[in-house]
Amino acid sequence: MRQPKIIIVGGGLAGLMATISVAEAGVPVDLFSIVPVKRSHSVCAQGGINAAKNLKGEGDSTWKHFDDTIYGGDFLANQSLVKGMCEAAPAIIDLLDRMGVMFNRTPEGLLDFRRFGGTLYNRTAFAGATTGQQLLYALDEQVRRFESEDKVKKFEGWSFLSAVLDDGGVARGICAMNLKTMEIVTFPADAVIFCTGGIGAVFGRSTNSVVCTGSAQSALFQQGAYYANGEFIQVHPTAIPGEDKCRLMSESARGEGGRVWVPKQPGDSRRGKDIPEGERFYFLEEWYPKYGNLVPRDVATRAIHKVVFEMKMGLLDGPAVYLDVSHIARDVLERKLEGILEIYEKFVGVDPHEEPMKVFPAMHYTMGGLWVNTQDQATNIPGIYAAGECEYQYHGANRLGANSLVSCIYAGGIAGPAAVRYAENLEQGHESSSSSVFERERVRQQDATDGLLHQQGTENPLTIWRDLGDVMTENVTVIRYNANLKKTLTKLDELSERFKKINLQDRTQWSNQTLNFTRELGNMLVLARVVTMGALERNETRGAHYKPEFPNRDDANWLKTTKASYRNGQVELSYEPVDVSLLPLRERKYTAAK
Amino acid sequence: MAEKTFIVRIKRQQRPDEPARWEEFELRHRPHMNVITCLRDIAERPTTRDGRELTPVSYEANCLEEVCGACAMIINGQPRQACSALVDNLEKPIRIEPLTKFPLVRDLVVDRSKMFQDLKRTKAWIPIDGSYDLGPGPRMSPATQEAGYPLSRCITCGNCLEICPKVNEDTQFVGAAIVSQVRLFNMHPTGAMHAAERLDALMGPGGIADCDNAQNCVKVCPKNIPLTESLADVNGQVLRHAIKTWFHGRD
Amino acid sequence: MRSAAADSRTSFLLDKLHSLSGVIPIGAYLAEHFFENSYALVSPAKYNYVASKLETVPWRLPLEILLIWAPIAFHACYGLRIWWSGKQNATSHPWMANWMYLLQRWTGVLAFLFIGYHVWTVRFLSHGKTTYADIAQTMADARFAALYAVGVLAASFHLGNGLWNFACKWGLAVTARSQRAAGWFGALTAIAFSVAGLAILAGFRFHWTPFDSYLP
Repeated sequence: MRQPKIIIVGGGLAGLMATISVAEAGVPVDLFSIVPVKRSHSVCAQGGINAAKNLKGEGDSTWKHFDDTIYGGDFLANQSLVKGMCEAAPAIIDLLDRMGVMFNRTPEGLLDFRRFGGTLYNRTAFAGATTGQQLLYALDEQVRRFESEDKVKKFEGWSFLSAVLDDGGVARGICAMNLKTMEIVTFPADAVIFCTGGIGAVFGRSTNSVVCTGSAQSALFQQGAYYANGEFIQVHPTAIPGEDKCRLMSESARGEGGRVWVPKQPGDSRRGKDIPEGERFYFLEEWYPKYGNLVPRDVATRAIHKVVFEMKMGLLDGPAVYLDVSHIARDVLERKLEGILEIYEKFVGVDPHEEPMKVFPAMHYTMGGLWVNTQDQATNIPGIYAAGECEYQYHGANRLGANSLVSCIYAGGIAGPAAVRYAENLEQGHESSSSSVFERERVRQQDATDGLLHQQGTENPLTIWRDLGDVMTENVTVIRYNANLKKTLTKLDELSERFKKINLQDRTQWSNQTLNFTRELGNMLVLARVVTMGALERNETRGAHYKPEFPNRDDANWLKTTKASYRNGQVELSYEPVDVSLLPLRERKYTAAK
Repeated sequence: MAEKTFIVRIKRQQRPDEPARWEEFELRHRPHMNVITCLRDIAERPTTRDGRELTPVSYEANCLEEVCGACAMIINGQPRQACSALVDNLEKPIRIEPLTKFPLVRDLVVDRSKMFQDLKRTKAWIPIDGSYDLGPGPRMSPATQEAGYPLSRCITCGNCLEICPKVNEDTQFVGAAIVSQVRLFNMHPTGAMHAAERLDALMGPGGIADCDNAQNCVKVCPKNIPLTESLADVNGQVLRHAIKTWFHGRD
Repeated sequence: MRSAAADSRTSFLLDKLHSLSGVIPIGAYLAEHFFENSYALVSPAKYNYVASKLETVPWRLPLEILLIWAPIAFHACYGLRIWWSGKQNATSHPWMANWMYLLQRWTGVLAFLFIGYHVWTVRFLSHGKTTYADIAQTMADARFAALYAVGVLAASFHLGNGLWNFACKWGLAVTARSQRAAGWFGALTAIAFSVAGLAILAGFRFHWTPFDSYLP
């Protein structure tokens, strides 16, 4: 029998879970990652991972988890896989526990759970405040074990350029660049799984890591993959604004009792800790008495925007509000939140055990992504699968806190076996493709690279990237006006023109980071257009997508998935219905219990 | 008002086989800058103080919040993460060099794959039967979790190897980070069943015996991992294991 | 057939034996040696009496070889190997423990050279018989007194710091707190040995017998 071969692009949580499930099936895996997989962006996830294990005697259930997720996502997510994810979550936690994740424990030695946004239950398992790091390491270790048994081969320090598609449009492998030698090489495979994360870099400064550019999904989109719900971008309410990036201050800070407030007296010049209780405005608790500080992220973000920009009640030195944990006992903070408080102290230089933290919303998560089917994570290109933040399946119009880690692992665990099944059932594997199919793609990529290297001009890629981030953050994040979105599209045209005039200051053929970044920037510009066009078209307010001109959810016209495609260099939008077969639609409001 | 500026000196090397040279850049000061913003500023305008136009500096960075381990380099003589090195807290001119204990790739980029290889060599994982549903994991006391969690935060940055006198070309010492991982896995109820394999790995060349207690590792760990405790603890574990197998043979 | 694991176990145990040998028998012998020599602080006659008693123990040479010279030779050779395999950086990273690491190497070499000289002159050139007068004569020369002082201080530091290393390398002191305690214990040991050693040297040089009141 033919031995199938699978390629996985991306070594974050989803990629590693997919790798494990393929390797377990006895099929060899080539795992590609731009950074050593242990440095993937999943390490930044802080607060925890949701699973309705109901270990707190609250009567929680996987159905309630499912309900919270769909409701939190404003009914835009297809329901069947979300239900599957919520049902699988407790077993996923068990698996991670068996892999050695140092989850916090109860005195009885069981897993501890805390509360997160958008739910009334203690449903979030956590390992201090660095849960993503702990989960990623656990999977990384399992993959390393497979690697030592020669079941997995890692290609770290390789950048995905494109898929190799045969004349029938079927994926036969990938084309990638070695970031040290700058060599462009094609690799054959019967199926490819994409787990390439979010697109934070499109917004300049976000909470995402440097590698989260969306370049891979954009390249694939330009080769014919659909990109769904691009306009749904989560802005996290509490991040530390920074010069190089915005650093996340996890929702778990509020889950453990942290409170958001501003001084009642605008322009109060006293230090936060000197302002007495009676002179503080706890606006989330006042406006959303049931959920309080744990309303979903889009709700909290808009509330902060309202307080700062409409009510002009932000803090004195720049747009920010207080996130206060200083009233919580020090030993609790140390046991449960140390990782994030340490970040604040290190990067801001103020001790959050003593003083309230200054935070402001920042782009955080990409709900949209590569379109995949509702059965097994397959994209519309035969042989290509996607899992994790790079696809759109699980979070609808807004992701609930601590649902991302579970969705990555669940989807990775579906995509792996699905790719194996596909590869085993192929009548003709990659070896049947003629070498010209691979050579054609390699030459196409080599030409594009040579073009960039020899291009003459005056533009700097970082400057264009900064301009892209500024316009996207200003117009396509929290509040969206159609006029501004149209202006953004014009700006994107201008940036694309300037992109053609980029002058690479580095034309060497050894560890040339400028070259790779510039190539990625070209792909970011395309994704920015997908996001902006999707936002412009969608004339309603749903989850994270907020248009003051259309302040209500409009199910009659907009209960549908945006599907972007790329034809002749143009982004085109079409729509498909959402699967709402399990939970009936209802109004989403967090001012009272559902 | 004159713009406030400061000087950054960077040790650069185009390729492993080419000579290294120091280059000086003058950057505009802004609040909350870190070394990463310095390197980005240089990439946007890679002109030295004496007016030579060069290539941008190659460097590794990813999360920028000190949890991925990518951006370790030597800043003003100390191995540390560039993202958490705030310009306002650094002596000027700021001197930036690549780590020296790992093969150089270019400029500030080094190849730290040795550490990942050593994690393989020491079997730093919990061997599970499979990823299918086998029910909950073993119970663990909060005390064990509180001891293990700090160890599990190791970001494999390599600072502890860089600063260790015993990590060099002559020894193959795996370094404190790896030893500490062995301690972590031997602490776990399932991992403990396979402790002997890890202890065997640390008995040989490059193993725990190479540690000579200079205790520099713990000074440069960005995650404040109690590395010297791990070294002592694993020293004891390996010793007991060696004596036991000497007298009783292997199980 | 020996397995690779057995080989690595041997090399590991050699390393542990190195740190153990510094404590027992070498450290223990140093304590005994300083104690016997302290009789010089009682009176020359008492010293000569104790010296001759030691010089006439049965099985003297085999015991010396087995319990003193062989362990010292092993400890020194293995120690040199350790020294060569490290690249010190205490000058650029002057943390306390890092200085201790560097000093441990230098005091080891100094102490070894001194012990070699000491054994050669006092044990062999004297044909195994040494009297109070012989030593006092040597100490009368300030250069030799200084040489002995350096030897005493180097050996004392090496032992004290070595005890701390031993506690860590044998996994006896694991927590930061117990390692600090072991460090203090080592420091006190080094100070005690230094004080006793220098007092003995002073006794020989200045015919100083502070404990003569103990005599009947």
